[in-house]
Amino acid sequence: MNVLVLVREGCYQDSARLMQVSRELSALPGVVEAVAMMGTETNRTLLAEAGFADPALDRATPLDMVVALRAGTAHALEEAQGALARVLAGAAPAEKAGGPARRPGTVAEALAAHPAARLVSVAVPGPYASFVANRALDEGRSVFLFSDNVPLADEVALKERAVRLGLLVMGPDCGTAIIAGTGLGFANRVDRGPVGIVGASGTGIQELSCTLDRAGVGISHAIGTGSRDLSEAVGGSMTEMGLSLLASDPDTRCIVLVAKHPDAGVARRLHGVLAKLGKPVVVRYLGEVPHPSDDGVFYARSLDEAATAASVFASEGGEIGDTRSLSGTAFRPIPRPGPPGEGRLVGLFGGGSLAAEAAFVLAAHGVATVVSEERLTAGASLPSGNLIVDTGGDAYTVGRPHPMVDQTVRCGLIRSAGADPSVRGLLLDLVLGDGAHLDPAPEIVRAVADARAARTTRGGSPLAVVVSVCGSRRDPQGTERQERLLRGADIHVESTAARAARVAVRTICCPVEVSR
Amino acid sequence: MTGPSAGGLLEGSLEIVHVGIEAVALAAEATGAHVTRVDFRPPAGGDPARIRALSELLSGPAARAIDAANARALARLVASRPHLVGIGVARDVIPGMADDLFLHAGPPISWDRMCGPLRGAVIGGLLHEGRARDVAEASRLAASGAIRFEPCHHHDAVGPMAGLVTPSMPVFVVEDRAAEGAGGRTYCTLNEGLGKVLRYGAFSGEVLARLRFMQTELAPVLAAALALRGPVDLKHLMAQALQMGDEGHNRNRAATSLLFRDLAPAIVRATEDRERAARVLEFVNGNDHFFLNLSMPMAKCMLKAAEGEPLSSLVTVMARNGTDFGLQLGSMPGHWFKGPAQMVRGLYFPGYTEADANPDIGDSAITETAGIGGFAMAAAPAIVQFVGGTAADAIETTREMGQITAGANPGFAIPQLGFTGTPTGIDVRLVEERGVLPSINTGIAHREPGVGQVGAGLVHPPWEAFHAALLAFSEHVRAVGPKDRG
Repeated sequence: MNVLVLVREGCYQDSARLMQVSRELSALPGVVEAVAMMGTETNRTLLAEAGFADPALDRATPLDMVVALRAGTAHALEEAQGALARVLAGAAPAEKAGGPARRPGTVAEALAAHPAARLVSVAVPGPYASFVANRALDEGRSVFLFSDNVPLADEVALKERAVRLGLLVMGPDCGTAIIAGTGLGFANRVDRGPVGIVGASGTGIQELSCTLDRAGVGISHAIGTGSRDLSEAVGGSMTEMGLSLLASDPDTRCIVLVAKHPDAGVARRLHGVLAKLGKPVVVRYLGEVPHPSDDGVFYARSLDEAATAASVFASEGGEIGDTRSLSGTAFRPIPRPGPPGEGRLVGLFGGGSLAAEAAFVLAAHGVATVVSEERLTAGASLPSGNLIVDTGGDAYTVGRPHPMVDQTVRCGLIRSAGADPSVRGLLLDLVLGDGAHLDPAPEIVRAVADARAARTTRGGSPLAVVVSVCGSRRDPQGTERQERLLRGADIHVESTAARAARVAVRTICCPVEVSR
Repeated sequence: MTGPSAGGLLEGSLEIVHVGIEAVALAAEATGAHVTRVDFRPPAGGDPARIRALSELLSGPAARAIDAANARALARLVASRPHLVGIGVARDVIPGMADDLFLHAGPPISWDRMCGPLRGAVIGGLLHEGRARDVAEASRLAASGAIRFEPCHHHDAVGPMAGLVTPSMPVFVVEDRAAEGAGGRTYCTLNEGLGKVLRYGAFSGEVLARLRFMQTELAPVLAAALALRGPVDLKHLMAQALQMGDEGHNRNRAATSLLFRDLAPAIVRATEDRERAARVLEFVNGNDHFFLNLSMPMAKCMLKAAEGEPLSSLVTVMARNGTDFGLQLGSMPGHWFKGPAQMVRGLYFPGYTEADANPDIGDSAITETAGIGGFAMAAAPAIVQFVGGTAADAIETTREMGQITAGANPGFAIPQLGFTGTPTGIDVRLVEERGVLPSINTGIAHREPGVGQVGAGLVHPPWEAFHAALLAFSEHVRAVGPKDRG
């Protein structure tokens, strides 16, 4: 096997571009493996272990791009080396080719030229993230921190500092926020309206904002906090600040808090804050049974119910505790897509929060699920039982794009699980909006068709597929078109993960119906 | 209820500064935000320990105190008024100078590690001092330990290239005449001219003859003229020269001419022998770099004024001995942070190539440290070909140096930049954050002793020196800096 390690000195590329370079080089004829990485210590070790040990590799620094190539022939290797320049030119931003002004080199320089910017958005690799976020705080600006892999201690320090400065740090690992109509990270194009959201969950915010949008309600702002904000260590400081911002925001009439598995102590303390906000408040702690509360804070049983409650409270005359008037998505009848069949359910999710929501609803209907933490491999046999898989989890996304952007891994699992005759139904989510895959439905349709074909040849029973589509009318993918494509392929479409889970329950035999 | 406003975050439409993955910026733009993208490079070379130290120094509890210390240091640098006050003999005027002591450029170095040009200069110095009769004897003496070698910078002196100062050499005396006089006195030898000269390691008969002329005619005549005329305001002269195409390091033609014009009447009046006066005037007139040996002690004087702020992260010395590059911080005077001297990129005189070149050498980077030289490149379009560029590149260099400096020196205004001051006060924190090294204009010495200058060009310091300075400064601030979070 022919192996080559190239080091481009001082050629910093972000992770998205590195993946693009890797993908394009890997696609070249004769290339067995192509990896583009920055020369950090971790990456150098990784490459050396992968059989790319090389003196050039040892000399690389975190500022140098390393390209490791393995090819079947020396010729293919040479061709790939030649293609690198072309691929790199394509990966560079367009305006670098003799375009307009040179970009500022730091946050401070950018802000000096654009003093009206109130927010700094940071999507750099984890080891550099808190450095850059701190530089934004130095300049008195709030931060949207998309980066993940930020140490917990750094997050605690950043947020403590933000509290002292009266600034907001959304993140780290903040997938979604919508400020004054502008989407940050993965966000849907939803109408503006009276409901304000604070969320420690990206897809939770997305599903909530889309459900409200479909109901014609709209949102004022959605403030993300990062998934660890309600942990004991962080203590919910940014959740609290976000709530306070929305409490004094004149465009916000009702506030929804959505988070996954808050620390019990933090949730108790937050309850006191929520009760004193002076505006109607709805809370959905994903995957948890709500506690009843008699001081005006409404704990919903699902995101659907949270959205419905928020629309009521945000409307004229809607009052706290007015739960009798609840109607809408959460309470529309659940259809049965066909006769129930023998077999189990496999949920393959892109959104972690949606996976948690689905697992919770399934459990409430007597369908116990196993949440698989291990990385499943297409083709290998599945663990037994009803499975819930978050293909956006760490096991799947370290060094790889998120399934909301690149569905290759998830589609592989759809083919593999769908072809397994022990599986009765697949439960999927499909998250649309800015930042997400531009046309995901056709890939899902193809994968499902492949699975069903393989299944028929093995003499299995029909495969039921239920998808929740998280999208707004204005999303760039065309939500209606995506749904039409899915329905046309005999895939049942629902608007939320909770509803999709309830439909999925009806496709399998003998679940224990639990009265709610 | 009035809570925090997070800087008015929710009010009005959104304008964003974005760092990192492009898709995030595109999504924000698609939904109505104005997005300014930052060209991100990992700070501090991407090293986790240095990033942590740098983050603490820029954003931690001591950050504002460091900013304030730098502002005070810069204010003193700007306020200093270096004047040429006289000419003396090194052994008489330089503090700590002794008969067995030779001063050299750059950080400390022993004979066995000295590069060719520096060894050549030492040999020439021993011949000039009459300590040896020939090269062999001089080499033996230099290696014997009978002569002590110390950096010019340890004695408030600076020297171009080899920077050799021997006890009997005449030196310019520069003094800070500002009210505070914080810069004190600084010293530099007189410039020999181009070609075969001691500072490039040449020690032939013509080199030694010129040194004798400088000692017996040039220095006494200039000293007498200065006594008659009175002190010369060097910053005033430098400010004019920057508006006449000099940058104070690789181009000194304007400043030399201005000095010549200023001193000529006094030289004539102070000298009985007209031929003697004429020889001195011819010598100054024939050497476009005569003023370099004044811009350097001027710069040193300004930087001494900036020293002594315990929390300052500004660089106050950059110097090379042809083997090592060294820098010092104003908060830790006397501590050298070193790395290997780098090769110079530039133009070579006919017949020479990079293979002939010695690594970077000389104290002349003191000019860049003080905000002129490469930092004032925009002022000197006439020499851009040395650095292989265009007039636009020259302006870009000065602008880029503005990213790593604490401020500008309004006393040194550049017409090409709308009379903004030259970027001044290299902040080690900003160098590490930006990943931008100071840009140094310099001459190129032949690697063998005795040959001389072979070209001129542009050089950057080694990263090692800045990395070491960052970590040491971080320790220093932890020891002496404020600890409370503001």
